[in-house]
Amino acid sequence: MFGDEELIKIHKSRATQVANIIIFCFAIVFIRLWYLQIYKGELYHTFSIQNRLREETVWAPRGMIYSRNDQLLVDNIPRFDAVVTRQFLHDKKETLKRLSEILQMEVKDIEKIIKKNSFQARYRPIIIKKNIDLEEVAKIETENASLPGVSVETFISREYIDKEVGAHALGYISEISQAQLPKYQKRDKVEYKLGDFIGQFGIEEIMDKTLRGINGHEFVEVDALGRKKKYINTDNLFKGIENRAPKPGNNLKLTLDRDMQKVAYKAMEGKSGSVVAIDVSSGELLTMISTPAFDPSKFSRGLTQEYWSSLINNEEKPMGDRSIQNHFPPGSTFKPFTAITALEEGLIDENSKIRCHGSFRLGRRVYRSWRRWGSEKVDVTDALKKSCNIFFYKVASEMDIDVLARYAKMFGFGRKTGVRLPREVSGLIPTKEWKLKRNGVPWQQGETLSCSIGQSYVLVSTLQLANAYAAIATKGRLYKPYIVKEVLDNQGNILRATQPELLRRIELQPKTWDLIHEGLYKVVNTPKGTAWWRRGFGNQMAGKTGTSQVVRAQNDEELYSKCSEKEYKYRHHGVFVALPLMTIQKLLLQPWLNMVVEALLPRLLLSRRLLILI
Amino acid sequence: MKQTILDYLKKYDFSFIGSMYAIFFLGILNLYSITHAQTSSKVESIFGSQLKWFVLANVVVFVVAFFPPKTLFRLSYWAYAVNVFLLILVLILGEKGMGAQRWLVIGGFRLQPSELMKISLALALSRYYARAHPEKMLLLKDLLIPFIITIVPTVLIVLQPDLGTGLLLILIFLVISFYKRLRWKSIGIISVIGIISGLLMYNFGLKEYQKKRILTFIDPQADAQGSGYNAIQSQIAIGSGRFLGKGFKNSSQASLNYLPENHTDFVFSIFNEEHGFFGSIVLVSLYLILFLRFVWLAGAVLRFYDSVLAIGIMSIFFWHTFINMCMVMGLMPIVGLPLPFMSYGGSSLITFAICIGISTSLSNSRNFF
Repeated sequence: MFGDEELIKIHKSRATQVANIIIFCFAIVFIRLWYLQIYKGELYHTFSIQNRLREETVWAPRGMIYSRNDQLLVDNIPRFDAVVTRQFLHDKKETLKRLSEILQMEVKDIEKIIKKNSFQARYRPIIIKKNIDLEEVAKIETENASLPGVSVETFISREYIDKEVGAHALGYISEISQAQLPKYQKRDKVEYKLGDFIGQFGIEEIMDKTLRGINGHEFVEVDALGRKKKYINTDNLFKGIENRAPKPGNNLKLTLDRDMQKVAYKAMEGKSGSVVAIDVSSGELLTMISTPAFDPSKFSRGLTQEYWSSLINNEEKPMGDRSIQNHFPPGSTFKPFTAITALEEGLIDENSKIRCHGSFRLGRRVYRSWRRWGSEKVDVTDALKKSCNIFFYKVASEMDIDVLARYAKMFGFGRKTGVRLPREVSGLIPTKEWKLKRNGVPWQQGETLSCSIGQSYVLVSTLQLANAYAAIATKGRLYKPYIVKEVLDNQGNILRATQPELLRRIELQPKTWDLIHEGLYKVVNTPKGTAWWRRGFGNQMAGKTGTSQVVRAQNDEELYSKCSEKEYKYRHHGVFVALPLMTIQKLLLQPWLNMVVEALLPRLLLSRRLLILI
Repeated sequence: MKQTILDYLKKYDFSFIGSMYAIFFLGILNLYSITHAQTSSKVESIFGSQLKWFVLANVVVFVVAFFPPKTLFRLSYWAYAVNVFLLILVLILGEKGMGAQRWLVIGGFRLQPSELMKISLALALSRYYARAHPEKMLLLKDLLIPFIITIVPTVLIVLQPDLGTGLLLILIFLVISFYKRLRWKSIGIISVIGIISGLLMYNFGLKEYQKKRILTFIDPQADAQGSGYNAIQSQIAIGSGRFLGKGFKNSSQASLNYLPENHTDFVFSIFNEEHGFFGSIVLVSLYLILFLRFVWLAGAVLRFYDSVLAIGIMSIFFWHTFINMCMVMGLMPIVGLPLPFMSYGGSSLITFAICIGISTSLSNSRNFF
């Protein structure tokens, strides 16, 4: 039998081993502490700051857009949304119940919204109600403590003062989509995030980088339930974490005239078409209207499904800009360019007179004038005045289409004008080569006849037509049209001003210009001119009418049936180009043009779809 | 007379009580720091009640220390038997709380028999080993009876269910058996059996939440906002302390409620966050000193029973401390074991006070009896 003392002695080695194991275990503890606190300490320290600091984006105010007369066209208006962040929702039932009382919504509806967004990450705020009023904001803010996960977010909503007026030119902004994300990141070299608003149309799209500014961020201390504690000021912050004030976007001053825009829109309301007015001395776009339009403010507020489908399902396609994104046969408004070609190429001179028969025969085909009865002999100015098809057919029968195309292209047809607006179409001026390539069939002289009166393959956009007439008005100065006049910083200092850019000086014989001017003058200001009835006050304007045939007439009856009896989409397009008379001689005077527009537009637009003013 | 009291005090071993005071002092400051940011009533209840429990713990220490080891020896089996009986009672009519039946209410006093079972088991095993051929090395077959002694309360506790404490009993049994010269070969065999039964238990015996804890431990990032939340936040708290810590009352993780249960299981994280690597070395060293003092005690006492009991009591402390630290540092799955004298909680404080009392008694017996 062993004594206690001996027993303890023989267990001494085990006691030592126990001590060793303990020391070994604590060595692990020390190493782990060293690893966490010293080796990875900085990292975890950063984590702990990030943990309690929530980065909130401070949206940079988007630049404002002004008209040429410094009237506000696009404004930013702060808007409050009630949001719920699922990550911080604690007592969901109770919180939602209280929230539903504040917002006067059904709990069911709130849950539905949350469920709809449940695919998103839990830390992403879900907008429950947009545009809440100040009383609701106050309630949510004061009950912050008892409403974990609920907060108010401020958004800046883009308001377009004149709503649909000029919507296509101004464009709209909306949230960047998943598909757009990589494209725009590459384009602008900016790290866009989902939820960022981005210009999607018109000036908002083209000038997006200038307008958007740079977003700032602000760190807010939050607890584990996402409730804000206090704002951190930059002084006592840890290294590397700083608030950044947003850099506001630059303002734009456009060339558009707000009053003219409104008049033009009012005249076109309820119809489909576009109005473009250009300052012939510089290429500044004074008016740019396309109807039917959309309300751009609705895009930045978030579209309702109903509104979106009403836009998409509208046969008249309000989402397309008819002034530059659509082309059409110019009809008789193309005749001056045929006349110019004929005069310059010596096919006719000021004395050439052609009998305006009711029809013209080329080979076996009969080309008709728009008037069936024949008229007296006319020279080139009268041919323009009466828009006599036969005159131009006869001229065109001896004309080479490639020559006509060369002159037309000189006036900017057949290619983009280069205006800084998205998705401009180039129109089409056919040549022999083009037709052979496209159809594999050689050009026929008969087609030249159609082209000479602006039908057949000839396609132009409203802006192209306006710009070409501007070149006629200035006797050959073709400017590149532009819409942004100045870029200003938010203090109002001019950062950049767009200078008129002369694309081409079209050199013609002075006599040619005079004849064309005379013809255009007669259209409006002499009896039997096609626009005699639309002449307004005295001799103030020249112009040219046109009817573009969109759908080829099947028979005479259809051809001569009254326009107003046809279905809207089969109606011919009415085109009118007005040249305020003084511009022909000198410069365009602003208030004066205004008056012309106001006086003329209502009478110009009957069932017609297009009107062009320069 | 005056001389004898002084003599008595001189011979009285205050080292264990001193350790308790040192650690508790850090613990109560830490609790104060954790709760100061919360509402005043909560500070009152946690800080105040921990102090009250500490007063009671002092009484318990001195009362228990008054019992000589001989008495403990005699009471060992009785304590064990009564405790097992209480565990059965808990299963039959225990009070439910947090999804488990752990409490017995006796005259308004809430008793947690599973806490006391740790001590009762150490007592019973020490008595058994001190009597059954203490001079021989342990063979596997010699483990049969001690194993039965261990497994009965373990099963009863796991049924509550309280897996953590159940495992702790087995760990205490292993440490005591190791000290009682279990052969290395047997240790190897036990290890193999342990691993196999562990795997079997994981696949068939564990409840869903328990499995989740283990999975979470393996990859806390997989569900950072869910079950991995505590593990990640705890490591962030510790790591963010860096060398000197964020300073007293400056824990952002605690004051902003990132770390739930921060006054019970996660006190060590907050302590580390506020006092950094330097502070944690001080704290961990205090524990280390206490444990080594136990090992010293095991070799210094006069009776073999006392020696085994010293190791047994030490193992209770050690496993609590080691497992708690490892779990908050992300080295082990989250099991709800408190850190001795640091965590908030009356019953664990009393349990550890009894342990300190027993060890003081064992130490004093060298000089007095």
